Amino acid sequence: MGIKRLKMPEYSFGDKVKWHAAAVGTAFKEAFFPHTVTVHYPKERRKFPDNFRGYILFDIEKCINCWQCAFVCPANAIRMKEAPNKKYYPTIDYAKCIFCHFCVDSCVGGALRTTKIHDVAYADVNEMLAETEQLMEPPEIVREDRRYVEYVIEEDDVRLRRVKGQDYLLVEPPPRKEYSMVCVCDDPESCTGCGTCADVCEHYAISISIEGEYKVIRIDTARCTGCGLCVKECPLRVLRLVRREGEQ
Amino acid sequence: MRCVAAVSEWRVKLVGRPKDVSCPSVVKTQVIDTGLCCRCMACMAACPAAVRTGVGFDFEERKHVCVDCEICVRVCPRLDYKPLSGIGSYIKAVAGRSKRFKGQDGAMVTEILMSAMEMGIIDRCIFVGRDEDWRTEILHVRDVEQLEVPTLTGTKYTFAAAVPALREAVLNTKVGVGFVGTPCMVSGVRRLQKELAVFRRKVKLVIGLFCTENFYWDELTEFLKERGVDIKKLVKTDITKGKFIATMTDDVVEFPVKELSAIMPSGCRVCTDFSAVESDVSVGSVGSKPGFSTVLVREENAKEVLDFIREHGYADFDEVSLEFVERLCNLKKKREANIK
Ligand SMILES: Cc1cc2nc3c(=O)[nH]c(=O)nc-3n(C[C@H](O)[C@H](O)[C@H](O)COP(=O)(O)OP(=O)(O)OC[C@H]3O[C@@H](n4cnc5c(N)ncnc54)[C@H](O)[C@@H]3O)c2cc1C
Ligand code: SF4
Ligand code: SF4
Repeated sequence: MGIKRLKMPEYSFGDKVKWHAAAVGTAFKEAFFPHTVTVHYPKERRKFPDNFRGYILFDIEKCINCWQCAFVCPANAIRMKEAPNKKYYPTIDYAKCIFCHFCVDSCVGGALRTTKIHDVAYADVNEMLAETEQLMEPPEIVREDRRYVEYVIEEDDVRLRRVKGQDYLLVEPPPRKEYSMVCVCDDPESCTGCGTCADVCEHYAISISIEGEYKVIRIDTARCTGCGLCVKECPLRVLRLVRREGEQ
Repeated sequence: MRCVAAVSEWRVKLVGRPKDVSCPSVVKTQVIDTGLCCRCMACMAACPAAVRTGVGFDFEERKHVCVDCEICVRVCPRLDYKPLSGIGSYIKAVAGRSKRFKGQDGAMVTEILMSAMEMGIIDRCIFVGRDEDWRTEILHVRDVEQLEVPTLTGTKYTFAAAVPALREAVLNTKVGVGFVGTPCMVSGVRRLQKELAVFRRKVKLVIGLFCTENFYWDELTEFLKERGVDIKKLVKTDITKGKFIATMTDDVVEFPVKELSAIMPSGCRVCTDFSAVESDVSVGSVGSKPGFSTVLVREENAKEVLDFIREHGYADFDEVSLEFVERLCNLKKKREANIK
């Protein structure tokens, strides 16, 4: 059938001596300069990359209360909780979290960010629910590490580099490009001219006037702040936010 | 996909009504008070004020919230009413009986909608269901499994707010919406499509039902109660061969439809469209054997769906006798005399 037998390669006497000598050499090398790839946690920690998916931190200033994190979480670990200011902010149940960081990726305001912390200990499961306030500060962890370890890849080999000192576990969120948005109508043929948009606009950016046989609707793009209120309220959803011209 | 480039200045044509008359007053005096209104509710489907304030169909209430947009005036099929009649144009006529669904007759309406969904022409459609008192209820069907509710198919001889529900469906669909309704509702949908581009783009299939008349729920239930019908036990209502047949779990009540003429709504008295001339495909019971639905395929989109049904063997087909349909069309055409 499909079984293929492998043949032993034929080695000459010279080859055999050479390979044996190489093996003895490696044994001596390992005896004096051991080549282990084990990280001796907790005395040393591995230095993780900045995109490591660890404990999540929350910046309340950047949260726009869009609930996107709670919607996207596949483990249902995020619950939005009402704060005294009547806004809703996320809480994360680490008993459920699978560290996929979909929430971090989906956060529009950049309020959620990762850390390189992976070793928070809890006394019982109820403690694993991190309230909003807890998410705003890095969690307390016990650190006994004196060194951090980096894996260095050399040719076909992996080597450890041990560096004295403690790795910094917080990560600066990557810089975000902020876009300035402006409202436009992309379906004027479905507009009834009801004036809802002009009504709700807090910046008086939309005006409606009657000119002859027509009702004319104008968006003053200089006044529009791109808040999107009109887009949300338009009964036939003919408005849309787009990036301002000239922006990439 | 939207077809027009984004703009920050655009215009909407005004209909040119007298300055001191509000739009709801125009409709109220010219359509409601004259008895022309057919309760298609196209006006409510388009009215932004109704959407935002939650007011219903009542025009007195609507006057208070009106924002003067004129869309009700633009979409009402009974303002400048041009009555349609006859059997209309069609590509072919067949009788069909679905093998998958149970309905009023051959459940071809349900079959066409579900097949269109399977084909990916539409991703949702609007069904008129009912509660246990036979009040109509609207359901957005997005999955065949929803049809496990047995009251969803079958005819309810009372008005339904399917067109206002169409608005929501049109705004939420990714692909397209399928609609089914009486001839007046079909006309209302066509007017919405004429005036508002979203409806043009998103309503992909319009099924018209043959219809002689429809009723107000309170008047019809009152009438049926007098005839000894227990609404709670009612399982099917049907009008065939000039008889109204109310089938209950333990009894059947029959009487000539003529007796219902006392409660026939004024909008139906002036309606001459029996076969839903403006639909993509019309379905009714006359013209085919019991258990079959008569299907008049009028447009290409509907023809494709019927070809799909045939290919997949989802339905049995049979001959139709259109003379019966034509007879009812002619009978209804006589109502022209009622239009002043
Ligand atoms: C008010 C009314 C009067 C009718 N009069 C006649 C008639 O005189 N002669 C005739 O041949 N046929 C008439 N029909 C059509 C007939 O009763 C069947 O609806 C048609 O044959 C389709 O049957 P089916 O088994 O294929 O539909 P099914 O698969 O059972 O589907 C029926 C569809 O009708 C919809 N529907 C039910 N009630 C209403 C309603 N009140 N408004 C809008 N949609 C509704 C449901 O949503 C469902 O999608 C009438 C229908 C209605 C609604
Ligand atoms: S808001 Fe527009 S659609 Fe509604 S009643 Fe007024 S004019 Fe008619
Ligand atoms: S006919 Fe239709 S659009 Fe006109 S007033 Fe009646 S329900 Fe409204």
